Amino acid sequence: MEKILSKKSFPQWVKKLSSYTIYAPVKKDDLWEYDVIDKPESIDFDYPNAVLSPKKIIFPQREILLEFSSSNEEGLQVKEILPGETPSVIFGVRPCDGKALTLTDKVFGGDFQDPYYWNRRNSIIVVGLSCSIPPSPDCFCLSVDGSPHSREGLDILMTDLGDRYFTETLTKKGDKLINLAKNLFKPPTTKDKKDAQKIHVESEKKINRQIKATKKIPPKLKGMFDSPFWDEESLSCIRCGICTYLCPTCHCFDINDEVSSSSPIKGQRIRTWDNCQFPDFTMHSSGHNPRPDRASRLRQRILHKFQYFVEKHKNYQCTGCGRCISKCPVGIDIIEVLDKVRDYGS
Amino acid sequence: MDHNAYIPRLAKLIDIKEEVSGARPIKTFRTEFFIKNDFSFRCGQCAMLSVFGKGESMISISSSPLMKDYLQFSILKMGRVTSSLHEMQIGDLIGIRGPYGNGFPIEDWKGKKLIFIGGGIGLAPIWSVLHTALGKKDDYGDITLIYGARTSKDLVFREELEELRKKMTVHLSVDVEEQGWEEFVGFVPQNVTDKKPSPENAITVTCGPPIMIKFVIQALEELGFKDEQIYTTVENKMKCGIGKCGRCNIGLHYVCKDGPVYSWAELKKLPQEY
Repeated sequence: MEKILSKKSFPQWVKKLSSYTIYAPVKKDDLWEYDVIDKPESIDFDYPNAVLSPKKIIFPQREILLEFSSSNEEGLQVKEILPGETPSVIFGVRPCDGKALTLTDKVFGGDFQDPYYWNRRNSIIVVGLSCSIPPSPDCFCLSVDGSPHSREGLDILMTDLGDRYFTETLTKKGDKLINLAKNLFKPPTTKDKKDAQKIHVESEKKINRQIKATKKIPPKLKGMFDSPFWDEESLSCIRCGICTYLCPTCHCFDINDEVSSSSPIKGQRIRTWDNCQFPDFTMHSSGHNPRPDRASRLRQRILHKFQYFVEKHKNYQCTGCGRCISKCPVGIDIIEVLDKVRDYGS
Repeated sequence: MDHNAYIPRLAKLIDIKEEVSGARPIKTFRTEFFIKNDFSFRCGQCAMLSVFGKGESMISISSSPLMKDYLQFSILKMGRVTSSLHEMQIGDLIGIRGPYGNGFPIEDWKGKKLIFIGGGIGLAPIWSVLHTALGKKDDYGDITLIYGARTSKDLVFREELEELRKKMTVHLSVDVEEQGWEEFVGFVPQNVTDKKPSPENAITVTCGPPIMIKFVIQALEELGFKDEQIYTTVENKMKCGIGKCGRCNIGLHYVCKDGPVYSWAELKKLPQEY
């Protein structure tokens, strides 16, 4: 369903959603972050890419899986700690980050449904905002089957038409959210539709960066596992892991116990984000390490995103948000790496 | 909703046996679930063991699925969790979740001779499949075990091995000469070459240190075994056991789900990342 919402009415809509926890991009110092907001007026849609994608709301950097404790009366107790299914709305999700949710859905779905992820995911409504101008100079969504107005993973897509938003609901959850403030939304005129389309078409032209012939990369990577290419490309890597921490599609995690009392034992089992760029990520307790150097770890990052995931799920595990490029302290640029892969040996 | 895959079930240690002492100690633990449940497994599968407060570790189940009374794990003291396990006493509680992995395709091996080749703690995963085959002996041809360790004191299941000799062929070895040792002296692959098992209508399963597996496979190839006749297990560091935490992969395989059992024909196709 397509609707028009005037910018003046936007805070009123948000006010109608009082039964939901509302997340939106918030400026903290010089950086933007998705956070809970209490005043609709504080939502500011004039934001570049947030440092962390909204993935962190559904798959938090640190979460409790279970608690354990022992007492004389009850012996050892293990208690499952599932997140509450709090109805929430995330406003201002960039289409690349929305698409990323469809990729983490694949990881946390499948044969073993991850209840921690799905409890949050199912109770969140994702409201996207199409990018009239690229939110980062390193955006390259068009090269990885995305676009600045992609609808994937979103329940609603809003497009900024200056004084009003062109609002498309894409799911029943999206319809529900608009129906809570029906009278604020008007049917779009032919001009509204044309304006939105024009912005969508023009926004694609504003994206500066691209991977050339991305489709050629997965088959090419298949033959490059043992190539010296990875040694050359990884020389400058300082193993900080920021590329994967900031990635909206990366999902690797660690599980550890944290103890608040050792006798009687009491503590929590915690899941935290982990990182394939760290040396101890794959290290066995014997000291043996199947990915012992920077080359094998960069290779893992690239192959996971552009070969393994493609073979398994038919998608690149990359949405072109550009965070790993902008924030890499030594200038490792995934677009350049992939361009070199494509041309390697030819 | 199904049982949350991350929540272990409580189990009691009902027996602990010191198999090997010294610098690389091995203990065998028998466990019984605190509350009866539907845990069932195939030989070759693993379980994630919890020592609460220390963490989790993926361990192969060394008892046979035919044995319903307990689950058995033989564990080399190595990291944080296995070291804590080694300090535990009978009656202590641990957590168990799983089982994980594919297991041995033992149903496909009916009518074939089985040759098990192990080194050190590598006998643990073999022990499960070996006893499953022995329990259904009529379904299989001759069963042979070729097993070795650094010294005779490093051999696990020492007494049970003597018992096994009554039912099947057992060839033992130690790496270096020692007083009173009457069997083969040398590495496990050399013992394989020495015993010359015939590849005819045979399946071999080899588990042990990676370097041993490499040379055992070479020895088997020299004896005429085909890649499809050779099975082994792979281990990589794991956290979740359900293909999500992202660290045990070899190429696009997750060892926790797609492994740990591979035929040499399958493993050869995967990158060297284990």
